[in-house]
Amino acid sequence: MRLLLQERTYSLTLTILLVGIGAAIAFPQTFPTFGNWSQLLLNLSIDTIVAVGMMLLLVSGVFDLSVGSVVAFSGGVAAFGMMSLGLPVPVAGLMALASAGLIGAINGYLIAYQGINPMIQTLAMMGIVRGGALLLSGSGIQNLPYWFNALSQSRLLGVQMPVWYMLLLVGGFAFLMNKTVFFRRYYYIGGNEQAADLSGIRVKRMKLWGFIVTALLAGVAGILLASRLGTALPTAGRGLELRVITAVILGGASLSGGHGKIIGALLGAVFMGLISNVMVLARVSGYWQEIILGLILITAVWTDKALQKRGALA
Amino acid sequence: MKKLLLFSLLAVSACELPPRQAAATTALNTIANTSQSGGTEEYVMVTTAVTMPMYVNHDQATFRRWGRERGVKVSILGPAEWDVPAQINVIEEVIGTRPSGLLINGTDPAIRAVIDKAVAAGIPTVVYDSDIPQSKRHAFLGTDWYEIGQMQGKEMVRLLGGKGKIAYMGILGLTNMEAGFQGLLDVVKQYPGIEVVGKFDDKANVEEAARITSDLLSAHPDLAGLCGFDSNSGPGMGLAVKEAGRVGKVKITTVDWEPEHLQLVREGVIQMLAGQKRELFTWYGAQFLYDMVHQTNRLSASNAQTDITTVPTTVNTGLLQITKANVEEFIKRPTQ
Repeated sequence: MRLLLQERTYSLTLTILLVGIGAAIAFPQTFPTFGNWSQLLLNLSIDTIVAVGMMLLLVSGVFDLSVGSVVAFSGGVAAFGMMSLGLPVPVAGLMALASAGLIGAINGYLIAYQGINPMIQTLAMMGIVRGGALLLSGSGIQNLPYWFNALSQSRLLGVQMPVWYMLLLVGGFAFLMNKTVFFRRYYYIGGNEQAADLSGIRVKRMKLWGFIVTALLAGVAGILLASRLGTALPTAGRGLELRVITAVILGGASLSGGHGKIIGALLGAVFMGLISNVMVLARVSGYWQEIILGLILITAVWTDKALQKRGALA
Repeated sequence: MKKLLLFSLLAVSACELPPRQAAATTALNTIANTSQSGGTEEYVMVTTAVTMPMYVNHDQATFRRWGRERGVKVSILGPAEWDVPAQINVIEEVIGTRPSGLLINGTDPAIRAVIDKAVAAGIPTVVYDSDIPQSKRHAFLGTDWYEIGQMQGKEMVRLLGGKGKIAYMGILGLTNMEAGFQGLLDVVKQYPGIEVVGKFDDKANVEEAARITSDLLSAHPDLAGLCGFDSNSGPGMGLAVKEAGRVGKVKITTVDWEPEHLQLVREGVIQMLAGQKRELFTWYGAQFLYDMVHQTNRLSASNAQTDITTVPTTVNTGLLQITKANVEEFIKRPTQ
């Protein structure tokens, strides 16, 4: 049992179950309903899609602070393409993804090949891209085309599409990280970068691709968010990077790299979404939500450390 | 591969596209059906940046006071940061709990769909601060931000005698502020002697507003005026002007009337405040909800059936113009 609890995905699943059971007892009319759960999953879907990329980066020992700005920028590019340039929905979507990928490539190149510190590089990029989003979208581009909005506003089995996209991406990347040599190399890089380099892994190229994939996922998230709101907001994704990093660390990643599973990113996001949902149902004010989420993060990491120590002694 | 293709086809065919027209509206919440369902009478305010002092001191304090005086439960929810998608998420989750009424800060046109969803669910819904005119909200109370910009523009022109360099700042990208910026520009463009040197994003941050102002004072030693559009613009601009020893030489107009703004007017650092009557937004907004729920004014046999809104649908609460001449009256305002 102790060994199971030392694995973050199991301990987090157990915690989610316990919180869920507690909430179902406390709010039997509103919490354990299909409507509430489909809403809860929808609300965390955008963050989770970005968290998948962030998990990939954190596994290799780096992170990206520009993802929130990329979310706003890609939504803005798609909206600008459709509304100002008159492009069809798929072309505008591809243009948005290409712009997100380019941002990731610039980040990756400067970090991996030029040795710029990831925090400095992605912090600077966060400002540049946010500025670009403001220039593109002004106070927001509204009344987006029906078929673009249908991407996120359609439902399958009564659940809005971003939840399905999220599950597909989590499932796909979980498979890739577990089963393919290419993606497993990120664990070796995060575990010991020099050793990975000496063993023939092209670390720089892998890091470059890590940033591109993360930015592409942020681009997908940005398109889905604009499509869900029917508006491209230049202020979208503010603070998203920290929420996502929190979710990923809750889900078992380590800032020093080498650890973490894609399913952990989903569980971390579900846990944070669950806590937010319960606080809304309990009518806990926004003041407390920040404090409670901060305390939960510290408790989760501290408990994990304590369990690891006991495991090592046993 | 065939199975995957078949599965994908099945999934696509099971997909339900969003409606092109608004969903049918269910009967409006009234005190009668709230009591029947055994629910308590609860009014929920959802905003963004829930911890912003201006919101706390004016909107939320008044909403709580209203709840105490009416003897009903009031709740205030929303993200701590300025995060419109997070505000939408909270509204979506609150709709599922079916409160008696929803008071929503009209932060951005992007919240239109969720307002319509609340209305379709039969929840009396009032928007305050900035209007979301394309939504189906039952009522709106607030200020026209374009007028805020115009008021600042007219006062700045008067203070400068129609000539001089000015700059303005606020949060870029917000619909209401962009309307305010436009109001200012539409006034000053009528005066060729006024030169606008720039529009800046202070990110609703005092330090950022102060940094922008000190940079502007260095780049334009003859800068004559500054206009602010968010709660922290005024204190930041005032701080930098004081530190540069240019008090009174650089004229400042800005929004909001928190204690620090009033003190700066008293000191002569800020020349004019364009203040919103925020207490009226939430007091009367909540009262509108209460009147809808209690069917205070019956205009037909069934208001819901005849699609009648029994409260004023659009209320402009107007603006306060605060200068050194009247600032003491606002400083001495009794706490309620």
